[in-house]
Amino acid sequence: MSATDRARRTNFLLDVTLFVICILLLTPLILLIANGFKTPQEMLVWPPTLFPKDPTLENFHKVFTETPLLRWMLNSFLFAILSTVAIVATSALAGYIIGKFPFRTINIIFILFLATAIIPFEVYMIPLYFQVKALGLLNSVGGLLVGYLVMSFGIFLIRQNVIASIPDELLEAARIDGAGELWIFWYVVLPLLRGPLAALAVLAFFQAWTAFAWPIIVMTRKKSFTIEVGLANFQSAYTVDLSLLSAASAAVMVPSVLAFVLLRRNFVEGIAASGMKE
Amino acid sequence: MATVEIKELHKSFGDVEILHGISFTIPDGAFVALVGPSGCGKSTILRLIAGLEEITSGEIHIGDNIINDVEPKNRNIAMVFQNYALYPHLTVAQNMGFSLKLLKKSKAEIERAVQHTAEILGVNKLLHRLPKQLSGGQRQRVAMGRAIVRKPQVFLFDEPLSNLDAKLRVQMRAELKALHRRLATTTVYVTHDQIEAMTMADIVVVMRDGNVEQVGRPLELYDKPVNQFVAGFIGSPAMGFLPATTKVGSSEMVLSDGQVLSKPTCAALDGGYIIGLRPEHIQLGGNGASFKATIEASEQTGSETLLLARLADQEITILLRERFDTPIGDVHTFVIDPTAVQVFDSKTGARLET
Repeated sequence: MSATDRARRTNFLLDVTLFVICILLLTPLILLIANGFKTPQEMLVWPPTLFPKDPTLENFHKVFTETPLLRWMLNSFLFAILSTVAIVATSALAGYIIGKFPFRTINIIFILFLATAIIPFEVYMIPLYFQVKALGLLNSVGGLLVGYLVMSFGIFLIRQNVIASIPDELLEAARIDGAGELWIFWYVVLPLLRGPLAALAVLAFFQAWTAFAWPIIVMTRKKSFTIEVGLANFQSAYTVDLSLLSAASAAVMVPSVLAFVLLRRNFVEGIAASGMKE
Repeated sequence: MATVEIKELHKSFGDVEILHGISFTIPDGAFVALVGPSGCGKSTILRLIAGLEEITSGEIHIGDNIINDVEPKNRNIAMVFQNYALYPHLTVAQNMGFSLKLLKKSKAEIERAVQHTAEILGVNKLLHRLPKQLSGGQRQRVAMGRAIVRKPQVFLFDEPLSNLDAKLRVQMRAELKALHRRLATTTVYVTHDQIEAMTMADIVVVMRDGNVEQVGRPLELYDKPVNQFVAGFIGSPAMGFLPATTKVGSSEMVLSDGQVLSKPTCAALDGGYIIGLRPEHIQLGGNGASFKATIEASEQTGSETLLLARLADQEITILLRERFDTPIGDVHTFVIDPTAVQVFDSKTGARLET
């Protein structure tokens, strides 16, 4: 067998394997979307059908009229956007300062930042709840945002990118050229961090979008639920009606899939390429 | 344009003192090269002049002002970095106009200045490109353009040519020199390459371990180095050094292998010394002090022959301006003009006038 033949065979096997993995990963997703369009009778058919025989929009109609699903999505969206903006802003500033102004005290602060990452949220969830309650922030976006304004991983990610891809000389050149520190941050550092900041934005957005434990203890009124809490609530109230839950879940996926598709390039670039750029 | 004066400059990083009281003056409009092996503190001086590091003690004057506590942006200097430090997200024109924009000049004024500078440097066709779309030499030119465009009092260059290939380096050397002649701006140029220093500078400052060893015109350093370090550092191929002894009244320097080099002017000397031989002063024949040396390696470049030879258990380099084909291991007699033999104190390394 020649080398090209062998290479072709290897490629073929790789393709087949990847294809199978893809199908395995996609099946639950397709099944979920399909279930949203099924009648309650078809839901119970075994083996489950991949494509509904008699597609119906009834489930979606019910979900949107009988529950405040749109309101929940809006809550989640607001929460996720505000959290993303805050995390991007704090990470950019803190990461840049820790990366480029390495005083000893700043390094200690950085280590403290990192240390927070190893404390599980569940450990301080209850004290945090009482604080938020004392502040009168229960059932408000403000209360939801507590704990979602700063991300230690974000600071770490930006710091690493600053160190790896922004040479000191660039900042020094700007200082000699007459730029002030804020100017440098805004016009030199931020444009160069576009990639990692976009990646961080995607991470932060999904972190907030998929948050569950914190929203469920802070948001007690049905109208102020986030989408995750709403979906969970759904499950207990309508346990039997799987098709309704499927329709709600499928509807909820739309914005996040859309966001991922739009930001995919940044997402991959920012995580993969933090190496030297000229 | 301005004179730059450095007085008793000390710089420490923590407990480590990098500069031990440096003083020298850069005349108005001069091209001064700071040269020395890596770690000698030459870049630190440049960064202190630029204001990128804080002065531990001492003074730096630019023109009539002490600039110790002046912000970098108010020092009216421009710096070209080794890695060019071009803003990657800005075009060539934006890079060059950056400082003018910060000075709040009008758009038309910035455009005119950038265009003018780009023409001087031959980069006017590249103005809309990003730095990553430029070759090394082009980036170098843009970096210089960014420095020139604001018409500073002093240019600071930090090893600007060391990232270029050999051929381009020679070309840029000439261009930089021509640019300096045209602009006549006071220039401080840091390099570890003594050829760059010798060929470009009006004045060369040779440094070692945070001290200035010698300040002088290039050929002055070459012909009259103050000590063995400068003698060995300046000149390529480098000077060869041999231990030798002599007695008062004698006109001979005796090498460690017993060979005798006649040097009539050494009559006042007594004891052990180091003698220095420049490779190009050694010849195959003619009048002068003669010695025998064993050939260890030979490189023929066509126009000249570079020999590595062993003399009195030391390696010396011999540069002949002719072709000379010799088998390795052969012993040949060479001749040197005794006045070209330099004598150094074996303890202090200082050159002795003989």
